[in-house]
Amino acid sequence: MSRSDAASRSGVSGWLRGWRPAVSMAARNLRRNRVRTALAVLGVCIGVLAVAALGIFGNVLALGAADAIGDIGTQIVVSPNADAGVESLSDADVADIRRAVGGPAVVPLYSDNAIVSGQSDQQFATVYGVEEPGLAFEAAEGRLPERHRQGAIVGAGVAEDLSIGAGDTVGIAGRQVRVVAVLTESETFSPVAPDDAVFLPESAFSADGYAQVLVVADSGESARAAADDIREEVNAREERVDLFELAAIVDEVNNFFSLLSTFLLGLGAISLVVAGVSILNVMLMSTVERRQEIGVMRAVGVTRRDVLRVLLSEAGLIGAAGAAAGTLLTVLLVAGLVAFTPEVDASLALDPTNGYYLLLALGFGVGVGLVSGAYPAWKAANERPVEALRN
Amino acid sequence: MYSIELRGVTKRYPGGGAEPVIALDDVDFAVRPGEFVAVVGPSGSGKSTLLNVLGLLDDPTSGQRLLDGTDVTDLSTAERTRARKESIGFVFQDFHLLPTLTAVENVALPTAFDPGDASGRAADLLTRFGLGDRLDHEPSELSGGQKQRVAIARSLINEPSVLLADEPTGNLDTETGESILAEFERVKREGVAVVAVTHDPLVEEYADRVVELTDGVLVGGVPDEDDPDRNGTDPEPQEAETATTGDG
Repeated sequence: MSRSDAASRSGVSGWLRGWRPAVSMAARNLRRNRVRTALAVLGVCIGVLAVAALGIFGNVLALGAADAIGDIGTQIVVSPNADAGVESLSDADVADIRRAVGGPAVVPLYSDNAIVSGQSDQQFATVYGVEEPGLAFEAAEGRLPERHRQGAIVGAGVAEDLSIGAGDTVGIAGRQVRVVAVLTESETFSPVAPDDAVFLPESAFSADGYAQVLVVADSGESARAAADDIREEVNAREERVDLFELAAIVDEVNNFFSLLSTFLLGLGAISLVVAGVSILNVMLMSTVERRQEIGVMRAVGVTRRDVLRVLLSEAGLIGAAGAAAGTLLTVLLVAGLVAFTPEVDASLALDPTNGYYLLLALGFGVGVGLVSGAYPAWKAANERPVEALRN
Repeated sequence: MYSIELRGVTKRYPGGGAEPVIALDDVDFAVRPGEFVAVVGPSGSGKSTLLNVLGLLDDPTSGQRLLDGTDVTDLSTAERTRARKESIGFVFQDFHLLPTLTAVENVALPTAFDPGDASGRAADLLTRFGLGDRLDHEPSELSGGQKQRVAIARSLINEPSVLLADEPTGNLDTETGESILAEFERVKREGVAVVAVTHDPLVEEYADRVVELTDGVLVGGVPDEDDPDRNGTDPEPQEAETATTGDG
């Protein structure tokens, strides 16, 4: 008597060795009824396509929205509360705000309006007085000084309208000032509107208080925390300042898009469930048809576990083939969309997070195969061979 | 020691009515190594049940079952599967080969999930049964007699002590049937106990002993106590003897 005992040989290689003959036998069984197999694979393929495509669609919408809103959520604009009779923010107020927020950069701004003129054109613009422009803005041309002592920093919109660049001279309220830097175009919506503004050193202003204070945080979360701190500490006794913050709105928008993504994924998942039912059907039919064969396998000494492996491999192969085809189709679909539709922003469609949805759909496809194959496989493997062999 | 033995085995099935169906009624049955026993009896007499109980496919309601002297009455499903694989070979009337597997793969099926490759052994067996040129043929490309030879080779892949055959010649013409029975003779000469359930008088001719099952009652299930040396290696005189038993 040969005592071959696979079970006693543990380890991954032993485990894999048990699956290899199962998968090879499963593949041959699937080839017996090609049309039925192909239809089941098609079902999974469509399901995976739906999950992946709708998932990516939702993700692209969310990414697009995040892109459009930009880092709006990371800035807070603090202004004096006119209702409480506060006309401007003093150095003491700024110090209070600094103390309240801790980490995030605090940039106080003087504010006025003036005619700004270039070589040939002129326009009305907001003029801010700022000491540390580098904390809140970025330069597209030239360099932002650490301490703003002289010269003008021009917003992207003004620079374009008046066609001026760094090194040019600009007239502000009749005085000629050299342009030291031009700002990058602002992607955020903010009441400060830096695009349509010119920034001068604080010394150019003779006002006795700041018109606004910008608080610039790293993330929406810390911006929200900073806003709360200002409300608690600066506004503790009286409502000295008004806060303009968009972090909460950004949260709402993000929540909406994640809900939309989930909803779309759910829609896709329904078709995957339908595909699962079709695998269940195919596997049940095929195990009933092959009842005697499975009985013979059990009779000649093939264990329940190995029968289960063969049948699970069949379902898993259907799932894997469908998932692979569906994933490939999704990739082609997205590529086609990017190639032929100029409205689709390629950088959004090719965002690496979309790969997550591809993987998710691929995993779902294989998973659906295994889950829906589990019951028929278990049922067939556990049938008593004496029943299965009965004609 | 008997290769396989039943002691006072009863098998009851819950019938449609109040009375259970008694398929085997206090059956004593034993087969020596190298003995070829034919079990005959009318349809519904319990022949298939006997074979299933012998083959560890079904458990007796009461009584004792021994395989190579070891009590195998109450085994778990996994233990029974293993005992079948190691000690029992099955040959069916409908051959029951897997249509997707080649002849060699069908023969090696019981060991297909074990480490190591049994296809060399399977090919040797097939060559022994005259199918050396059909190794990679699928069952659909084989004749009935060839399929049954593949099935016999499959039953022998793990060198069992018992070969159980259910109407092995039932789907074969007389000539092919005889050649299959000749194979059984070769198998039993290697010390394998062969039990064939049959309607075929031809099988009775080849058997060392014929026992008759009627309504679950078995007559002559245990070999003669006076002749303990009888082991079926000398079929000629026994054939005459058993033929009369079978007819009677």
